[in-house]
Amino acid sequence: SIQLEMPPAPSAAAGSCALSLGSRFLFGCRVTAAHRFAASPVQPPSPLHQQPHLQPCRQGRRWLRPEFRGVYKPRLSPEAMKEFWRLSGIGPDHSRAKVADQQAEVPPEIKRLYQEALPPIVSQDYRDPIVESLHRAEMMRRRRVINIPEFHVGSILAVSVMDKHAPNKVNRFVGLCILRRHTGLFTTFTLRNMVDQVCVQIEYELYSPSIVSIQLLKLERRLDDNLLYLMDAPHSHCTIPFDMVPEPYSRNDPVPVNRERVRLNPPPWMCKWHLHGYQGIDLEHLYSYLSDKDVAKAIEFSKAYKRYDLLDQYLNRVPVPDADYAFKDIFIQHQELLQHQQQQQQSSKKSEVISKLTGTA
Amino acid sequence: VSAASAPALSSQLIVAMATAPHTWLRLVPSCRSYSKATRLHKIDYPWKDEPKPHWVRQFEARRVDADLTPENRDWLRQWRLQRVRDAVASSSEAAAAASPLKEPPAARPLWTPRVSQRCGLVGIKLGILPMWYRNGQKVHTTVVQIPDQRVLRWVPPEDLGNYASLREMRPYRLNQSLLPRWLTQQRWGLQLVGAVPADPANFTAQWCGIFKAAGLPPMRKISRFLVSPDAALQPGACLGLHHFRVGDCVDVVARTVNRGFQGVMERHLMEGGPAAHGSTKFHRKMGSAAGGGGPIYRGKRMPGVMGNRFRAARSLPVLRVNTKHRLLFIKGFTPGPPHSYCQIMDSWMLDVRRSLDANPPPMPTYFAEDAPEGGYPEDVYHPDLLPYDQPLELPD
Repeated sequence: SIQLEMPPAPSAAAGSCALSLGSRFLFGCRVTAAHRFAASPVQPPSPLHQQPHLQPCRQGRRWLRPEFRGVYKPRLSPEAMKEFWRLSGIGPDHSRAKVADQQAEVPPEIKRLYQEALPPIVSQDYRDPIVESLHRAEMMRRRRVINIPEFHVGSILAVSVMDKHAPNKVNRFVGLCILRRHTGLFTTFTLRNMVDQVCVQIEYELYSPSIVSIQLLKLERRLDDNLLYLMDAPHSHCTIPFDMVPEPYSRNDPVPVNRERVRLNPPPWMCKWHLHGYQGIDLEHLYSYLSDKDVAKAIEFSKAYKRYDLLDQYLNRVPVPDADYAFKDIFIQHQELLQHQQQQQQSSKKSEVISKLTGTA
Repeated sequence: VSAASAPALSSQLIVAMATAPHTWLRLVPSCRSYSKATRLHKIDYPWKDEPKPHWVRQFEARRVDADLTPENRDWLRQWRLQRVRDAVASSSEAAAAASPLKEPPAARPLWTPRVSQRCGLVGIKLGILPMWYRNGQKVHTTVVQIPDQRVLRWVPPEDLGNYASLREMRPYRLNQSLLPRWLTQQRWGLQLVGAVPADPANFTAQWCGIFKAAGLPPMRKISRFLVSPDAALQPGACLGLHHFRVGDCVDVVARTVNRGFQGVMERHLMEGGPAAHGSTKFHRKMGSAAGGGGPIYRGKRMPGVMGNRFRAARSLPVLRVNTKHRLLFIKGFTPGPPHSYCQIMDSWMLDVRRSLDANPPPMPTYFAEDAPEGGYPEDVYHPDLLPYDQPLELPD
């Protein structure tokens, strides 16, 4: 068993004024925090549940400072938070998830429409269920004002943004979606296009109120999560006419996958594209530009052993129960949104009829 | 915590230390570190920001009672939690308003400009939510939850000398010429507030005894606020969400994120050395310690643990209040990681004090009689803030 070596307690005349502490200074004692245990009636921590943290050093055991021991942790553990929420009744609202449990399974179109409803992939210390539910609720409130269509990386969108300097106070940009980042209300997407032989990439915040409309022109998916390699590809791949006519699509059909493989320009490149596992690049053509060493590195990177890396999978995925909970919550709010839209249509029809009658009358 | 058992600072000694340090410093002739560097107020010591009371052990390992069956153990736990809930409910403002026997609060003090300082609230930082203003500008708001909290104790300014015992007196105070002003001026008293009631089995008997005098269940967090005597609250008083209104500017004091042992370049933004050009083992080092034959002064910037210190974010407006989950949405970013405690109080910045003089807040705190007719809606927004279900309308 580990014994704590405590210094001898000072005399009982450690009494009623500061002179006693001053007297310790007179004799040149080094002040350590151990004197607190001597002065206080509290026992030093017992070895059962508070192991002393020993500093590795040649002089033997030393008492580590509190910040090295991690003693000052003014944070509530997840268990303490749950207990506090249960006691006071101000915890996260699980009523919608319970309603969704009674209904049928969440349809797959919810997972396609609300990809950003998933919680962020960060350590558990930085996640909070109340904040995530607030993000989801505010996302659905914004969707009552503007229609946000389903789109993926590789789709073509037309975005109109409020611009006080534009002629019609609205600035419209058409582009290929190359990137979709972050979750919740922080979600952003980047559109790329050629404007007057200049490559332009604009990043929009999906839930910004200055966006007037988001129009889906072509629903499509690519083989990769992002198309940043188009920066080093011929400009023909991201030239989209501004007057493109929207192509019809059906929600029930699966999202069409564009399996084209892009041939990059000769190096130098902005990034080592061969080291990121892109499937949408013509790899033979790419490797023809690289030395044997680089090709070996690229092949080493793309080896199949990563699917056996359990920790990588655990750290880079949303836990399945959390994802299910988020989609159940969103599913109920999606139904409320559809009801709201129906009511709005009915009321607008009513107001049209009334205005016609009053107009004629 | 009994101050009698601890060596105390008499008010005479405080006055002496504040006014004539050269007279009492003669008592410590061996103190060689009384130098210019020691007088810098920004020196950080690891035990400077200790949570108080550190002389009382808070947590206790749960007793393993082999005679209890698991079902009975769970039943007892539920019974304890229900008693905590009842104790909290009985001391809440709703109960006070409902009970016909209780007298209405005594004449509420008036807000006195340049004098009044109200008590603050203990909050739990949850995360960040982005919002937009009505002019299209983006603003990040920190979501802070206000837990159940009650006033534990009031220490008037005259008793600060007896209360601020030498247990929490840091050794370097005797080396410095400056004591903290709240101790020397004795303008404000200390208000102890307890937050987050919890199962008493988590805590030691001594910790529970702190709350017994006020008739409260034991709580996880004890905080201190510097409060003027006219805004003092008596033990058992309830502090709630509506203590702060939308538009009030607050200071948020919290412990910063602990970044661990960091080198000098990260911690003090020193330059380090060149990466190349023949540099031998000198890339991220401190370099000279500027001893010059003498000692290295206390406070010399060196590697060490970074963060984990109390810092204040000043003058942050409250933009939104949510009554369902008891949330305050405070503009900007506050120190500390999610699920950490923070102290929220009326801002000490002068322009905020002037605006509070014009529009005084509920003194000494919010009571049920201050509620508007019909109660509060679920969400109260600042007029400049755009709710998400409203479209943005920019002026031409």
